[in-house]
Amino acid sequence: MIKIARLFLALVLVFLYLPIIVMAAMGFNASPLYALPFDFTTHWYQELAGNGRLIEAGWNSIWLAVLTAVIATALGTLAALALWRRTFRGRSILRILLLPPIAIPWLITGTAMLVFFFWTGIGRGLHAMLIGHVALAIPYVVLVVGTGLQTLRADLEEAAMSLGSTPIHAFFRVTLPLLLPSIVGAALFAFAVSLDQFVISYFLSVPGMTTLPVEIYSAIRKGFTPEINAISTILLVASMIIILGFARFARPGGIGERS
Amino acid sequence: MPPEASAAGLPATRRRMPSWLATAALLLPSYAWLTLAVLLPLAAMFAFSFLHATPLGNKPVVWTLEQYRAFYDQPYLLGVAWASLSIGLWTTGICAVVGFAAALALVRATAGRARETLLILVLLPFWTNGLVRVFSWTMVIREGGFLDVFVRWFWPSAPSLGFLYTTPAIVLGLVHGYLPYMVLTCYIALLSVDEAVIEAAQSLGARWWTVLFKILVPLAAPGLVTGAILIFVPVIGAFMEPRILGGRVGVTMGTVIEDQFTQAFNWPLGSALAFTMLAVVLAVFATFSGVLRRSATT
Amino acid sequence: MLTKLRTNPGVYDVVLINSARSQQAAGEDLLTPLDLANYSNASGLAPALRDNAYLKTDGKLYGVSWVWGMNALAIRDGMDKPESYAALAAPEYKNNVALFDDAVTMIGVGAFLSGQDMNDPKDLDAVAEKLKAMKPNVKLLWSSEDQWNKAFSAGEFDLSVYWSGAAVRSQRKFQLPLHFVVPKEGAIGWLDSLSIPATSQNQEAAAKFINYMIDPKFYVEWATKIGAPASANEKAMEELPADDLNRDIHKPEYIETMTLMAPLPDDRRTAFNNLWQEVKAFYAA
Repeated sequence: MIKIARLFLALVLVFLYLPIIVMAAMGFNASPLYALPFDFTTHWYQELAGNGRLIEAGWNSIWLAVLTAVIATALGTLAALALWRRTFRGRSILRILLLPPIAIPWLITGTAMLVFFFWTGIGRGLHAMLIGHVALAIPYVVLVVGTGLQTLRADLEEAAMSLGSTPIHAFFRVTLPLLLPSIVGAALFAFAVSLDQFVISYFLSVPGMTTLPVEIYSAIRKGFTPEINAISTILLVASMIIILGFARFARPGGIGERS
Repeated sequence: MPPEASAAGLPATRRRMPSWLATAALLLPSYAWLTLAVLLPLAAMFAFSFLHATPLGNKPVVWTLEQYRAFYDQPYLLGVAWASLSIGLWTTGICAVVGFAAALALVRATAGRARETLLILVLLPFWTNGLVRVFSWTMVIREGGFLDVFVRWFWPSAPSLGFLYTTPAIVLGLVHGYLPYMVLTCYIALLSVDEAVIEAAQSLGARWWTVLFKILVPLAAPGLVTGAILIFVPVIGAFMEPRILGGRVGVTMGTVIEDQFTQAFNWPLGSALAFTMLAVVLAVFATFSGVLRRSATT
Repeated sequence: MLTKLRTNPGVYDVVLINSARSQQAAGEDLLTPLDLANYSNASGLAPALRDNAYLKTDGKLYGVSWVWGMNALAIRDGMDKPESYAALAAPEYKNNVALFDDAVTMIGVGAFLSGQDMNDPKDLDAVAEKLKAMKPNVKLLWSSEDQWNKAFSAGEFDLSVYWSGAAVRSQRKFQLPLHFVVPKEGAIGWLDSLSIPATSQNQEAAAKFINYMIDPKFYVEWATKIGAPASANEKAMEELPADDLNRDIHKPEYIETMTLMAPLPDDRRTAFNNLWQEVKAFYAA
């Protein structure tokens, strides 16, 4: 049974990585039209090294995603605690209000933000993108942390409190460690939502201050070249090294382990 | 104030804020942010959906309900809505089965560092650009693409397996994009399932399918439901995957709405369609959660 | 552009306006009437473009035609050149056609095929019928040049509705084996013109600048060194090298047979968009 389970996991990983491998491979293919047969070259990596615009956009994306993940995870976790640990009137309405940012296509949300931000004087730029990204990521964080809270037994927290610990103490000593896998998961989500967000960034960016997805999105019109595969590959490999390194050196049983 | 009262009251207030205040303090940052950045702009869009034409330039503003009659005036939209719905259901269904199984395999068949590493490997593809990922799929599944090249290695005269520009191609791209959501939410839910419960069931002679459907699935239900919301809801409005992978068949509510914003420049119709879609999605979940609640009480 | 012009009086001295928008701008008194006698290089302009009705309002000319282009067909080298748009529905191109995902262009093709005025087809049902007949042939709808290039180079289709300017670029930059074909119904044309805003402070300098922009010498340099759309100045086109792709594709006789996109009233534009949406849904079903 365990062998079958592991084989299944391996198959899922193959499925998930198939297009990623193709993406990486095509970054080394000579044809600007991605045509086969395969013809090895490092030309696109050399082009990329000289493409300051794309590299700067890559850095902007990373910073924006990190900030979004930190802010959205902090705010969203607090909201999830209220929505799943407390009872009050209007709770279900507040839960439903999380859905529009997910359900309404980003294109419409982006247009709406552009019009609204222009009108209120928030304007465009990295700050506007940060406001937009955090807002989009919050519902994901709340729902993911909420799932964790739903499956977590509330009685442990109550037991701690009945033994004389304060709610805040109980939260930090009991709930938070148990909730940590969900919170880390939610942060990874928020990071991904921001990193891949192109429509809203597209509307809220100003020339010279863009993110990688915006550059990619506008490249569809100009024609996108394997340079984009090259930078995507570098980004992926870098994040893989950082995260796996982090997992290796983090305390034993870091994320995803019951403590 | 009598001294006893303050002596009795003080420690209590120091330990505990009034409950409503604590709730408000927890909720306020998120909801203030959401209101400012998403809900108010969307409310403005909602208002636009009652206009006759996009409110730009010096055209007079005319209020109307005509945009919400779209499904009546253009009945083919019902077919489009049905196609989107079935793509959404297929995608969500496949993600639920594969994602739950993968999460179960992660929790039950791996442990410690290997498990963490595998979980991260599942989530990482998510960090690459969606457009690049979808585009890479086109190179795999087109006629004479990588899939065909691979198969013909073993069987040179194989017929083409390419299925680019079909509905299954759209579902494939969407499943690939959204599967990590389901794996993560199910994983979080399954983590807290108590080992003792399963062992108890097994010692009482329960077969694996009894354990699966009577214990694991119900206990992981919050994860499955959250995953389904996070997948079904955006998939209904997806436009990039249908457009690139669907070719001729790639017409969905998402692409129709996108066209209203980018090509036809008809924001009122586009937002009316989007809010109608939101209403349908909310209705589906209301019914669904009602059914869940009823089955939970019986 | 019109919005910018309305909200920024006095900022611009020369504006580029699509011929379909020219009358709207002139009607709002945003532009100055022009006299071609002041433009020495105007003598070479193709008459059909120079005197185009869309550039005129109340008999006065408001724009100097500058560059133009066409939407027609592209076919893979080695295949027979289609004579009519009807080829898009012909059985020999089964599952081998790409259409341009643009309402105005595709309604135009449908109108040509049903013998109507592409800018004001009275019988939209006939247009829909002609477009729906293409269903078995349609493999994909393209919306960007890049998408077209990649799909064509992967051999996904042989016949397509395509832009003339893009056809030049696809051949020049990527050596794609294609021919641009203008069928007997003519092409769907667009024309960009240069105008002087009524609020311009430097009318004379503006006129000089426009004259320079339509100068054949300037155009040849622009077209051969950087790449440019086709010039409305016939003399400029003649001065391009004889084997120039741009010249080869944008033949002067096509100007005679092409229909320029007209200014569309809002309700007609909406009707076009809805019809194209319906046809796309029919293709998908």
